[in-house]
Amino acid sequence: MIGTVQPASMAAAFADALHTAGLPVNPERAGRFARALMLAPPRTVDRLYWMARISLVSDHSQLGIFDALFTAVFTGVLDPAEQRGDPTAPSAIQAQPRPRSDSSGPVGRQQSVTGDPPPRIGGDGAGDGADCEREGVLAVAGSEERLGDTSFAELTDDEVTQMRRLVQRIVLAAPLRLTRRTRATHRVAERIDVRRTLRRAQRTGGDPVRPVHRTRRRRHRRLVLLCDVSGSMEPYARVFLSLLQGAVSGASAEAFVFSTRLTRLTRALAVQDPDEALARAAAAAPDWSGGTRLAESLRRFVTDHGRRGIARGAVVVILSDGWATDEPADVAVQMARLRRLAYRIVWVNPRQAAPGFAPTVGGMAAALPFCDAFVSGHSYAALEELAATVAATRNLPPSHS
Amino acid sequence: MTEPARPGAEAGVVERVPDVDALVGALDSVDYLTDTGLATALFMAVRLPQPLLLEGEAGVGKTEAAKALARILDTPLIRLQCYEGIDAAEALYEWNYTKQLLSIRLAESQGERLAQTELFTADYLLQRPLLRALEHPGPRPAVLLIDELDRADDDFEAFTFELLAESSVTIPELGTVHAVHPPIVVLTSNRTRDLHDALKRRCLYHWIDFPSPARTAEIIRRRVPGSAEPLALATAAAVSRLRTLELDKHPGIAEAIDWVAALTLLGAHRLDAEAVGATLGSVLKSRDDQAVARERGMAWIAGAAQ
Repeated sequence: MIGTVQPASMAAAFADALHTAGLPVNPERAGRFARALMLAPPRTVDRLYWMARISLVSDHSQLGIFDALFTAVFTGVLDPAEQRGDPTAPSAIQAQPRPRSDSSGPVGRQQSVTGDPPPRIGGDGAGDGADCEREGVLAVAGSEERLGDTSFAELTDDEVTQMRRLVQRIVLAAPLRLTRRTRATHRVAERIDVRRTLRRAQRTGGDPVRPVHRTRRRRHRRLVLLCDVSGSMEPYARVFLSLLQGAVSGASAEAFVFSTRLTRLTRALAVQDPDEALARAAAAAPDWSGGTRLAESLRRFVTDHGRRGIARGAVVVILSDGWATDEPADVAVQMARLRRLAYRIVWVNPRQAAPGFAPTVGGMAAALPFCDAFVSGHSYAALEELAATVAATRNLPPSHS
Repeated sequence: MTEPARPGAEAGVVERVPDVDALVGALDSVDYLTDTGLATALFMAVRLPQPLLLEGEAGVGKTEAAKALARILDTPLIRLQCYEGIDAAEALYEWNYTKQLLSIRLAESQGERLAQTELFTADYLLQRPLLRALEHPGPRPAVLLIDELDRADDDFEAFTFELLAESSVTIPELGTVHAVHPPIVVLTSNRTRDLHDALKRRCLYHWIDFPSPARTAEIIRRRVPGSAEPLALATAAAVSRLRTLELDKHPGIAEAIDWVAALTLLGAHRLDAEAVGATLGSVLKSRDDQAVARERGMAWIAGAAQ
């Protein structure tokens, strides 16, 4: 079968088919595939499968589409997914071609819609500084100021659009932590930087006249946002998604949404254009406005992502009303697992602001003991409070408001 | 953007890795059992040559693959373990300041003058893994394993990759070092964050699946001398059963090997509920996971029909 076709043209044709199906296959990869075919002409379809897959696929998530297309092109000879025997591989039917984007550049800092530098809330600033910044935000808000205390659930569609622009400027920033990396300082600090001291000593004939100290660099902790997009959260989720996008593009946060299943949105949201980001997010998570499987989603997060390192030492923000179909006991088990990984867990429940609210819904009541802070986040003003809560360190008393 | 036409692999490498089948055989001879997928990936990494990005669950043998490759090429394995905050001084090179200072003092005490250029020579250079891999004198290229690249910061990732793409590095005081034998590069990632697209574009990609019970048993038998075949098979099957449970950490190949080693040491000839109970700690290493397994039942793990 293969012997009759030129390797180069076959590689190009198959790569083109994958490209059309939405995989990021480029001429470089196609060229590699062709060179591999010439180096060791595959005698079996199995060999051909692996050569194509290794040279053309660049991520585990692409395997579903790849396998489907490979089977379609080299029809019926074998089913690669079956042959690989990987029960966890996504089935070809479910796999959705992802919209392509050429946003391969580094994620830039957040761009303000108006071109002004985005006002920063929370972050490093405390005390006076934070107040000034807050005024800045309200000034930018201008005519939309009246929306500040309105619940997201009561906004009209136009107002939601305005609110999204506003919310996008809220930059969530997790607290700082010390890293292993150090930097030089001339103030007396924890350690002497022997290397720099000696280098400096060369200027003074080898005598270390002035010691150089070193102090540890500080970085923001990782920030992870898990947003409930089930039916009951819909009025809020449409605004929260903009918050997620701001955090991903502005603070390198990791973003996930869940209702019946968990979807990682970090890639989809890491583009500069907010509208494009939201469109990509909507395409990436197929279960908008479904039911809530809170415990299952948390379990998937901890197992597939959290334990690999995303949640370790991170500030985890969960945006959900806690209305779930699964057992409260299961929610508690998963929250306990998350608790052991995370630095702080902040729960945002927009229903908290409603009069007479008590966190008695099964899932919410089960999750609450594991949370460091519980805020409402139902309006623009409430999201500012969230920004301050996210920036808090663990030593502060949790703000149960 | 396009890659320059490559001359292909060096003759010494081509000789050792003529085709995929020969590579499977050679890997087998150094006790690394592999399937066609991984063998094809390694073959392409060596022969194109092109860096290879390996991903897969913890414990499927990503690091072992690079080690085995180095063994069959009879070339050193140079490993760079990445971690948060790793920088060029730890990955590439650093000047040996203490030695420089001592030389200055020694020269002074002997009344000699030491020129600045004499202090910045290869004698005073501490080679870190990346530089060692570039300067490897041959006769065949070294295998450079960049382990858990996702743990390093993204700027370090970009820096590393530029360096490898050029196969050269410029040390301001010394000049540019060009690799005579550009290393064979294997990268691993645990997917804690997405690697940069530019990096992925330059790499071959292979996802390693957990091996089938039969292959796991074969691997165990190679690694645990004196282990009986029925025991290895039963343990491999038990590990695959454990992997269906809701565990924090699914047992990998290393745990399966530890388990059989423990069973063999205790003189167990077959896997029964009692033997599983006595050795559970060698395969499940967290209290929660053990509780889940105990709840499911030792007999079930051991393979008794229920």
